[in-house]
Amino acid sequence: MKMKTVKIAFLLLLPVFAGMLFACAKTASMAAWHPVEVSYPPMCSDCHTDDRAAMNHTSDFSTRHKFYASQNERTCSVCHKEAFCSDCHAHVEELKPSDKYKDSPELTLPHRGDYLNQHKIDGRINPSSCFPCHGRQNNERCKVCHR
Amino acid sequence: MRIDWTILRYVSGPRVMRAAVVGFTLLLLFLPSLSRAVNLSGDSNTYVQSREDADKQKILSAYEYLNFSVQDPGKEVSFHFGGWLRYDLKTEEFGNKSNSDLQYGYLSYKSASNNAAVNLGRVMVFEGVAAERVDGMYARTDLAKGFGVSAFGGNPVETEINLPGNNIIYGGRLSHQIPGLYRIGVSALKEEKNSEDFRKEEGIDLWLRPINKVELMGNSKYNEITKDWANHSYFLVLGPFARVRFNTEASVINYKDYFTGATSSAFSFQPSVLDQDEKVRILGEQIAFGLTDNLNISLDYKGYSYSIAGDAKYYGGNIRYSVVKAGGAGLSLHKMDGDDDRLKYDEYRAYLFGKFGKADVTLDALDVKYKEAINGVKDAYSVSLAAAYELAEKLKIGADVEYSKNPDFEKDIRTFFKLIYSFDIGYGKRKEGV
Repeated sequence: MKMKTVKIAFLLLLPVFAGMLFACAKTASMAAWHPVEVSYPPMCSDCHTDDRAAMNHTSDFSTRHKFYASQNERTCSVCHKEAFCSDCHAHVEELKPSDKYKDSPELTLPHRGDYLNQHKIDGRINPSSCFPCHGRQNNERCKVCHR
Repeated sequence: MRIDWTILRYVSGPRVMRAAVVGFTLLLLFLPSLSRAVNLSGDSNTYVQSREDADKQKILSAYEYLNFSVQDPGKEVSFHFGGWLRYDLKTEEFGNKSNSDLQYGYLSYKSASNNAAVNLGRVMVFEGVAAERVDGMYARTDLAKGFGVSAFGGNPVETEINLPGNNIIYGGRLSHQIPGLYRIGVSALKEEKNSEDFRKEEGIDLWLRPINKVELMGNSKYNEITKDWANHSYFLVLGPFARVRFNTEASVINYKDYFTGATSSAFSFQPSVLDQDEKVRILGEQIAFGLTDNLNISLDYKGYSYSIAGDAKYYGGNIRYSVVKAGGAGLSLHKMDGDDDRLKYDEYRAYLFGKFGKADVTLDALDVKYKEAINGVKDAYSVSLAAAYELAEKLKIGADVEYSKNPDFEKDIRTFFKLIYSFDIGYGKRKEGV
């Protein structure tokens, strides 16, 4: 009975505590959309000196963009709509990103060319690179061979 | 009492894009009657792909990818949608005449202070250990003294699993930061399928910039079901020093802890192929050198060290030249060197693109030479030629043709047509001072 009272008190006080912390934060929200046009490729450090300065879109940025997104997705969303993410990070997809954007050869797009055969090698070497995109999503076609 | 989030499943499914197109049309009809200012913006990408399948059946598929946002520029509530629809013009592809997917669709509230946001609907969540799609809710806010918190919950949006009963996922992340110096977070998620534990994951994520030109970032994930670390993945970025940047990557992955909670049998490893008790250490280095503002060279190496299988390495380099809004070229050479001939290949790629007024042309060639032949073929290559033309500021038309030879096709020709329309329409009049 005592434990139940503690649980109820905790649940009642939780939103009050969260509200207090929220009220004390007093930070200004980031702009919903980048206020000025950004030149290509975006070099954030040209204007920003805080953590956003680290997000310069150099040619090697794509290899580590996952770390920024998992910590600070709201900064990404100042310039990118979700459609930009879902072009590659799909729930169900039939077209490879590299098929949709053949006119953008500079983009780091997965699975160019004959990847059906190449994945048998890459998947053996490092299956953890397949898992984030195909572990629980976008894997309907895997069952054709992986029964 | 447990909320049955499965009710949100009814807002997705194969008919969702058709419903979305009807809804989108209604939006276009009714928005002008609103007295408040509302902005409708988005993109319509229409694709038609022509190709042959493995049974030499001609496939001609039309796709519509639509994304849009509706919002009052001065207000805090908005709606966001992204999805696609495919219809086959000749025959059936993947066993269905048509297919569709709701990628995301949610109502959003964003506060003017504290970076607070609440999203309700099909949301994408990227928070620490969570990289999920959820039919439910996502919320975040800054707290006092540099702290921040986020939480999400709902029905997991996954493919290839259809268990009866209650499926639910929820989690959250608590973070602290000193802007420009560090950001650290702890996060957790739990997923139940058929009311049983499917995933229980906890993680730490870190971004640290102790001094200028030194940046460390990464994450570690703990699997609460298998009671061991699933992975540690960290990146060290140094530079630029006289136009040279160094990226060092170090990762450890424990297969039995990392590959849990998969919905595809592709990740149910067999000892004859991959051992579930395998553990890999990955160490990589990339050196990127900007010779000029337009010319970049990079060399990269990645070594894979296994506890059971033989070691492997992947290495190579590339050179890129590009001039903004004019054109460019690139060349890359890479070698995959696994522990036997089946796991070895050389990869070559060269591309060239140019912009001529409102038109642009791209030529791209990729060649993969397998050390051991697959279906009697050692050399797989593809060459594509793409062209596009800007009919108007927000309307672009394009087409490409790809010729390839690979272990599955002696000669494969594919064509792709695209029509891209971007819209940004304001409706209603804004009140003065709003």
